[in-house]
Amino acid sequence: MSILKVKDLKVHFPIKGGIFGRTVDYVKAVDGVSFSIEKGMTYGLVGESGSGKTTTGRAIIGLNKITSGNVLFEGKDITSYRRAKADYYKDVQMIFQDPYSSLNPRKRVLDIVAEPLRNFEKLSRQEEKKRVQELLELVGLSPESILKYPHQFSGGQRQRIGIARAIALKPKLIIADEPVSALDVSVQAQVLNFMQDIQKELDLTYLFISHDLGVIRHMCNRIGIMYKGRYVEEGTTEDIFNNPQHIYTKRLVAAIPDIDPNKRKEHAKFRQEVQREYEQSFNDYFDENGLAYDLQSISDTHLVALPKKG
Amino acid sequence: MKKDDTTMVETVEQPEQINSESPTGLKILWREIVRDKVALISLIFIVLITTIVFGVSLILDQDQIVKVDLLSIHQPPSDEFILGTDYGGRDVFGQLIIGTRNSLAIGFLVTLMTGVFGIIYGLTAGYFGGHVDNILMRILDFMMVLPFLMIVIVFVALVPKYSVWTFSLIMTAFLWMGIARLIRSKTLAEKELDYVQASKTLGSSNLKIMFTQVLPNLSSIIIVNMTLNLAANIGLESGLSFLGFGFPESTPSLGTLLSYATNPQTLQYRWWIWVPAALLILLLMLSVNNVGQALKRATDARQRRG
Repeated sequence: MSILKVKDLKVHFPIKGGIFGRTVDYVKAVDGVSFSIEKGMTYGLVGESGSGKTTTGRAIIGLNKITSGNVLFEGKDITSYRRAKADYYKDVQMIFQDPYSSLNPRKRVLDIVAEPLRNFEKLSRQEEKKRVQELLELVGLSPESILKYPHQFSGGQRQRIGIARAIALKPKLIIADEPVSALDVSVQAQVLNFMQDIQKELDLTYLFISHDLGVIRHMCNRIGIMYKGRYVEEGTTEDIFNNPQHIYTKRLVAAIPDIDPNKRKEHAKFRQEVQREYEQSFNDYFDENGLAYDLQSISDTHLVALPKKG
Repeated sequence: MKKDDTTMVETVEQPEQINSESPTGLKILWREIVRDKVALISLIFIVLITTIVFGVSLILDQDQIVKVDLLSIHQPPSDEFILGTDYGGRDVFGQLIIGTRNSLAIGFLVTLMTGVFGIIYGLTAGYFGGHVDNILMRILDFMMVLPFLMIVIVFVALVPKYSVWTFSLIMTAFLWMGIARLIRSKTLAEKELDYVQASKTLGSSNLKIMFTQVLPNLSSIIIVNMTLNLAANIGLESGLSFLGFGFPESTPSLGTLLSYATNPQTLQYRWWIWVPAALLILLLMLSVNNVGQALKRATDARQRRG
């Protein structure tokens, strides 16, 4: 059974205008997204800036209001009664993109990491301190750092404090919103590998949001590609990278840089070809509003947004 | 207590840490005051005056001081009356001490009460935003357009028993809007930061986030604003008493002493009645303002001297 099921999720933001601040129009940040995540896997959500991938993640955890659609966690619909059921947060946690603003600068590491524990578990001061130290050790920080403030750490260390906080309650699902995009490349690998390690250790499921295809390929079992709030293609990592069907996916995959200098020319030529194909066949793949069509399955695992005729 | 000790040890043990780079807000504020000699002297002056005034007024007998003694009217400073007497034969020095105590007490009380109320009001409006913000801010706008002085004078006339407390409450009712606005605007910006969102996903209640997450990040602004308010509030009572709407003569106050100077005879020939009070008000307000300005500078890294 899938741990998380998202059905036709829509998140629309009103645009206020006119003299009385009436709602003039809507920004359809997420417009009909459906997917499901199996337990223990890493699901990647990819797309360019403004494609709605972050909004999807935030809507699932309840930071954005859902306009319509359902989010089912372990079979329970948490779309409507999320507000009352605080213990949803016990099972679903989030890692934030910016390790600088996601930690309160006025709080010590102890207070930051212990915040979820204080909300859900009644621990004595000593037990709490011990748990926080264990968590810090788990994320590779020295247990002595509990009395330091966030500004005393580097970006990678701060992100790991954020991860320690997210795993404090032993959640089942973690929504990672571009967890490494604010870090430099050497630290990225460190954090990613570490995330994979704790995934095995704690049997976690990730919803991994990123615009970095290399990172996604490294991390994910299954990938969904978003464009303008809609899915254009969904499939396993193999499907997406070796057999991209939608022209938008093809273009994304072609954009991954090739580090072999001998193939540089070849690769550039290939990229131009894909770009030409993209321009020529744009109208075949997108409807008159420039939006993707509904998904249609082309194999057991592979779904592509193609017009009805095929 | 114990926790503080360990913090101290921690910072001592690791001097190579980068923590000297960005000290906490309170440390920055303190450093700025120490660097600014005028502000430091002002702060020492305020502390000195406050302790003297509150200490000495404990041993002074107010009933004795405000008792009219027709045999010793308008006496110049002497051994018996250090600063002479007023037209009722009352000791000016005693009135000065108790008057300063009253002015300071009102200043502190009004600042504190407007602060607490304004912070709660502003935090609520800013944090929840939307309709809550809209309604709260329209109420605030309404309060702001009310003619403050006129209503205070009416209140003063209506309230029969008049003490430091009732006076402070009346003032508070009309002076909380400034800080509420400031806090609201800062909260609006602060609540968009990720750590507030993170707290939500960690299961903290809104109330908890408002007061334990957002509020500490506004502390330096609050301190600065309240210090500057204090300077204005100390003069508040004197101003109203001078106009004749403050305390009655049975409660000594700096404003009452000053208002004796409206008599040309007193103004010209009996300086001991009004000069000390005028000087004290001037110096106190100036000092508090100096400290406040230094604190204000400290919150902007480009203006800092320290």
